[in-house]
Amino acid sequence: MTGRRRVTPHGLAAALRLRETGIVIALAAVCVFFSIRATNFLTLDNWQDIAKEVAIVVAVGVGETMVVLTRNIDLSVGSMVGLTAYLTADTLAQHNGAPLALIALLAVGVGIGLGLVNGLLVAVARIPAIIATLATLAIYRGIAFEVTGGQRIAAFQLPDRFLELAASKPAGLPTLAWIALGVALAGGVALRLAPWGRDLYAIGSNPEAARLAGIPARRRVIAAFVVSGALSGLGGFMWAARFPTVDAVAATDFELAVITAVVIGGVNVFGGSGTVLGAVLGAVLVATIANGFTLLRLSEFWKIFFNGLAIVVAVTIDALVTQRLQEALRRRRAEVLAARHQEAEA
Amino acid sequence: MTSRQLLGRLLGRWETLLLVAIVGVGAWSATLSPFFLHRANLLDLVTPYVFIGLIAFGLAFVVIAGEIDISVVSTLAVSVVSFAQLVQAGVNVWLAALAGLGVATALGLGNGLLVGVLNLPSLAVTLGTLAAYQGLAFVILSGEGVSSFPAGYLRVGGGYIGNELPIPLLVLLGLAVVLGLLLHATRFGRYVFTIGANREAARFSGVPVARVRVTVFCLSGLMAGIAGVFVYVGYFGSARADAGQGQLLDVVTAVVLGGVDIFGGVGSIAGVLLALVLVAELRNGMQLANLPGDLQNIVIGGLLLAAIVSGNLIRAAQAGGLRIPGLGLRRKEVIAADAEAGVPVNPTVETRQGG
Repeated sequence: MTGRRRVTPHGLAAALRLRETGIVIALAAVCVFFSIRATNFLTLDNWQDIAKEVAIVVAVGVGETMVVLTRNIDLSVGSMVGLTAYLTADTLAQHNGAPLALIALLAVGVGIGLGLVNGLLVAVARIPAIIATLATLAIYRGIAFEVTGGQRIAAFQLPDRFLELAASKPAGLPTLAWIALGVALAGGVALRLAPWGRDLYAIGSNPEAARLAGIPARRRVIAAFVVSGALSGLGGFMWAARFPTVDAVAATDFELAVITAVVIGGVNVFGGSGTVLGAVLGAVLVATIANGFTLLRLSEFWKIFFNGLAIVVAVTIDALVTQRLQEALRRRRAEVLAARHQEAEA
Repeated sequence: MTSRQLLGRLLGRWETLLLVAIVGVGAWSATLSPFFLHRANLLDLVTPYVFIGLIAFGLAFVVIAGEIDISVVSTLAVSVVSFAQLVQAGVNVWLAALAGLGVATALGLGNGLLVGVLNLPSLAVTLGTLAAYQGLAFVILSGEGVSSFPAGYLRVGGGYIGNELPIPLLVLLGLAVVLGLLLHATRFGRYVFTIGANREAARFSGVPVARVRVTVFCLSGLMAGIAGVFVYVGYFGSARADAGQGQLLDVVTAVVLGGVDIFGGVGSIAGVLLALVLVAELRNGMQLANLPGDLQNIVIGGLLLAAIVSGNLIRAAQAGGLRIPGLGLRRKEVIAADAEAGVPVNPTVETRQGG
C-alpha cells in the first residue's frame, strides 16, 4: 500500500519534467530547422539578439508565473511596462546625472503600487482577475497617456550610460539578459524553496484546502500581484534602455508575449503547477521562432497567428494532462476509501 | 411568465439603477452642450456603439452560461476582412456578407468545441484564439484597408431613415428583441441559465450541456460577425485587419454593467442594452467635455470595476448579510450555506464506490 501511495507524486513530477524536456526538444528541432534554412541563424550576433529579445519577457514573465500559479492572471503587465518605461525615460531625460539604481528603484516602486491595486481588486474586492486586470490594463494605459501628454522621449535625450545597458555585453551576454537571469534565479529559488513560494502552489492547486490549511491565501495572492507589478516596473526600466524612443503606446500588447511564454513554458492555467525554468524556456522558444521568421522574411502577421495557436495547443495539452492526473487521483482515493471501508466492516 | 417575474424581481433594482444613471449622465451632458437634448443627437447617440452592443449580446449568452469569450473582437476582425477579400474578388456583396457570417460562426464553433467538448478553460482558450484570430485577420488582408463597397450595402450599418433615424439603431433594437426572446422565453435560454447556475446539476437534470455550451460560443461568433460585416463596415465604410482592436473593454463593460453575473447564471438582454446606452452616453458626454479617448478609458474601466463590486455587494446582501472583511460572499460559500440549510448534495464518487 505504501509503495502505491507514492505513485501519484512520482507521476506528477514525471509529467512536469516531461513538459520541460518537451520544450527543449521543440527548441532543438526549431534550431535545426532554422540553421538549415537561414544562413545567419547560428551566429553569435543573432543569439545575442535573441537574448536581448527574451530578457524583458523573462523578467516580467517571472511575476506573471507567480500570478498564474495562484489560478489568476495579470493582463495589465503591458500597460505597467509602458507606463514605467515612460517614467524612467522622462526622469532620466530631466535629470541626466541621476544614479541608474535609483531610477530602477523608482520604476519598481511605481510597479509595486500598480500591482498592489490589482491584488486588492482581485483578493479583497473579489473581482475575477481577468476582468480586474482588463480594466486596469485600460486604466494604466490611460494614466500613461495623461502622464505623457502626447510627448515622446527620444534616444538622444537619454544619458549614454543608460543606453549602454542594452548595448554592452559583459562575458558575451547582453546586460539586459544578465538582469533577466538574476530575476529568474531569484524567482526560481523563491518558488522552489521559500514557504511563501510553496504557498502559491497550494493556493493554485486547491484554494479551499489551502485556506483550511491555514495559508493566508488573500495575502499571498496580493503578494503575487505585487511581485508581478514590481517586475513589470523593472521590465519598464529595461524597455526604456532597449527601445529608447518611448511614448504612451510603448509595450502595447506586450502582455500577450508574456502570457504566451508562460503558458507555453508549462505554467498551468488551472494554477498550481509550473516553474520559472519552464517560463524561461517558453520565452526562449517563442523568441527563437520569431527570430527565425524574421530571418526567413516571413510576415509579422504569421508570427501573431502562430503565437496564438501555440497558446491554444499548450492549454490543450495542459488540460489533458490535468484531467488524466485528476482521474488517477480520484481512482486512488476511491481505492483507499474502499479498502478502509472493508477494514471497518471486517 | 413565471421565469420573467423571477427575473424581474432579481434584476428590477439593477435595471432601475441603470435608468437613473442614464438620466443622471444625460442631465450632466445637457449642461455641457445645448445640442445634447436635440432629437437628432439623442437618436444618434448609440450609433457608433451599435457594433459593440451586438457583440455584447452574444457575449452575454456565454457569460450567463458561466464562461467567457475574449476572442470576440478578433472574430469581428476576421469576418470583416474575409468579407472584404470576397467583395474584392468580385463576389456579390450580400453573398460575401453571408460568407463573413459563416466564417465568424465557424470561429465561434472552434472556441465552443475546445471549451464544450474538450472541457478546456474558456479564459485560456479564448485568450489564445484572441491572438490567433487577430493574426489570421492580418494574414488575410495584411495591413491594407478596403473601402469600395456599394452604397446600398453600407446603408444597413450606416444609413438613416428620413435623415434622422439611424438604421443600425433599428438593427440593434430588432436583434435585442430576438435575442431577448431566445434567452428569456425558450428552452434553450433556460438551459443557458441552468448551466451557468450549476453545470453539474444541469447535467444530472438531463440538460444537453455540451451541445448548449458549443451553441452559445457559435452564437457569440455569429453576433461578432453581424456586428462586423454589417454594422462595423456600414458605419466606418471600410474594412481593416485591426477592426475592433481595443474595443474589448467596452464590450465587457456593457455585459457586466448590464447586470450579467460574471460567475454565470444571471443576466438579461434588456440590462445589456441599457448598459450600452449608458456607456454610449458617457463617452458622448466625455467627448463634449473634451476628454481624449484614453482618459475616457480610465472612467469606463473604473465603471467596470464598480459594477462588479456593487454586484458582489448586492449578492452578499441577498444571501443574508455582508461579511465585513470579505466585502461579499463567494458562490462557493453560498452553496455551502445552502448545504447547511439542508439542500441535498450530490453523492460523491467515493461514497458510491465505497458502498
